[in-house]
Amino acid sequence: MSNPPELVPDFDRLPEPGEISQIATWLAEARLDSLELSNDAGLRLRIRVPAAAAPVEKGMASEPAMPQAEAGEGTVTVRAPYFGKLCLTHPMRDSVFAPVGATVGQDDVVALLTLGSLQVPVRAPVGGVVEQVVAQPDELLGYGAAILQIRPDQD
Amino acid sequence: MSDTLRFKRVLIANRGEIALRIQRACRQLGLETVAVYSEADADSRHVHEADVALCIGPAAAARSYLDPDGLLLAARMTGATAIHPGYGFLSENADFADAVEAAGLTFIGPTGASIRMMGDKITAKQAMRDANVPCVPGSDGPLPAAMEDVHAVARQVGFPVIVKASGGGGGRGMRVVERAEDLTQAVALTAKEAQQAFGNPTLYLERFMQKPRHIEIQVLCDTHGTALWLGARDCSLQRRHQKVLEEASPPGIAPETIAEIGARCAQACRRIGYRGAGTFEFLYEDGVFAFIEMNTRVQVEHPITEEITGVDIVAEQLRIAQGEALRIRQEDIRLRGHAIECRLNAEDPFTFVPSPGTITRWDLPGGPGIRVDTHVVSGYTVQPYYDSLIGKVIGYGASRAEAIARLRTALAEMRVEGVATNIALHQDLLADPHFQRGGVDIHYLERWLAERTAS
Repeated sequence: MSNPPELVPDFDRLPEPGEISQIATWLAEARLDSLELSNDAGLRLRIRVPAAAAPVEKGMASEPAMPQAEAGEGTVTVRAPYFGKLCLTHPMRDSVFAPVGATVGQDDVVALLTLGSLQVPVRAPVGGVVEQVVAQPDELLGYGAAILQIRPDQD
Repeated sequence: MSDTLRFKRVLIANRGEIALRIQRACRQLGLETVAVYSEADADSRHVHEADVALCIGPAAAARSYLDPDGLLLAARMTGATAIHPGYGFLSENADFADAVEAAGLTFIGPTGASIRMMGDKITAKQAMRDANVPCVPGSDGPLPAAMEDVHAVARQVGFPVIVKASGGGGGRGMRVVERAEDLTQAVALTAKEAQQAFGNPTLYLERFMQKPRHIEIQVLCDTHGTALWLGARDCSLQRRHQKVLEEASPPGIAPETIAEIGARCAQACRRIGYRGAGTFEFLYEDGVFAFIEMNTRVQVEHPITEEITGVDIVAEQLRIAQGEALRIRQEDIRLRGHAIECRLNAEDPFTFVPSPGTITRWDLPGGPGIRVDTHVVSGYTVQPYYDSLIGKVIGYGASRAEAIARLRTALAEMRVEGVATNIALHQDLLADPHFQRGGVDIHYLERWLAERTAS
């Protein structure tokens, strides 16, 4: 396979720091965590993008974050991607991330799970309007616990 | 226990029957329990009965029961200050034990250093030799270059011997030599093969044990210099290295013989500063014990030792971790009667294919001398993600014959519907004349299964 030249430079030399930075940005946007380049001369470059809330967020984008439309209700439940104490307000700004009635976009942070000094973001699996908050702030939530419900945008 | 407890709340880093077993011991000692569980185990009995229950991840063990960071964070979030690892999962992970203690928590088990020493076969064997625990007689290092010296080593070890490549493993690069006159050729051939296969012609040799039994010694050690041995277990009935049925004491081995090896194990524990419960595993043949490995944790088959000694091994683990001195002395330990454990698995009794599913009926046996350790209740779903152990039925009797009779009656009483179980296999084994005579070797069950399939 051949890469579009404008995306990944020919790998006959190490890319400039600016180019590496650009590739890292693309990786982050594509939600990829690493890219490895190598050539016949043995030159090898691996670019790794740290996960947003390392170390506990590793490999956590799976099951509970999957949009699951609740039968009959038409809402999607946002579930805890890890365990931790639920924090519904932004710790620095004192504003609620996603109050009932708020419109959120897909992947917006709608809550935090705090574990001591660690904070794990809870992201909206779909864009829509927050219909209900089902978990209590400061509650110790287990993995997969329901936090809030979003009525998805009509497409 | 006094008010000056080192810990009052224990996180149980396990699942299934052993999680419930640990929880019971904690409650009997007035300790609170934290159940951490995967999504798949949300409906487990110990989860419902815990003081605090926390789902820590999905079904995959790597992201729940095998996630050291997650378990430490869970302890912090739930206020648990001690972690009991049970068996399997992280129970013999030295780095985890170190991380628990580094976090200021109590690891209910030995130190990371002890786990590490026993986890490496070479250091473990060296430590045992130094402590006068018998190991498989052998060359204790590479074979000498001169063939006459090799013969001298082999004569001293005793035929049959097995010649092994240092770099080998997995059953490759080894040759059994029955007679001295075959040794020269066998060494030459094995060295050549070892060179070709592993790029290393270095060989060593050991006594080849043809029909060994698996005999193990339970030990219990506090942090005040007391190390006890609690008799022996015979775990020779194995299929693919998995124990199926265990008994205590091993039939047909003189109590003095067991006492001698037991005392050596206890002495070895004092020497290495071992802490908590542990098991020394041996191969046993023709009166000779040969150390295989030490398990630095509580074992699945611990109940049979509890039955014949009256010692609650899990409760003692907790007391030892609190820093208490053992209240029993070696001379207090009397081995009384006989106990046999049948491991019940949700699997086909003929093909051994796991049989996950919902258990719709679960009628347990009872009566004198019958103990059932299980996390299963009617309506419980056996998950496909973990091992298929659904419980252990333990029969105790004043004699071996009585233990067998009680177990056979108990297994006949059990009614399990919804999943297949290996109860029928246990019934057949308990009725087998060779088993009833006692003392079968570690290959017996596989041979017996092969014949059953053929007939």
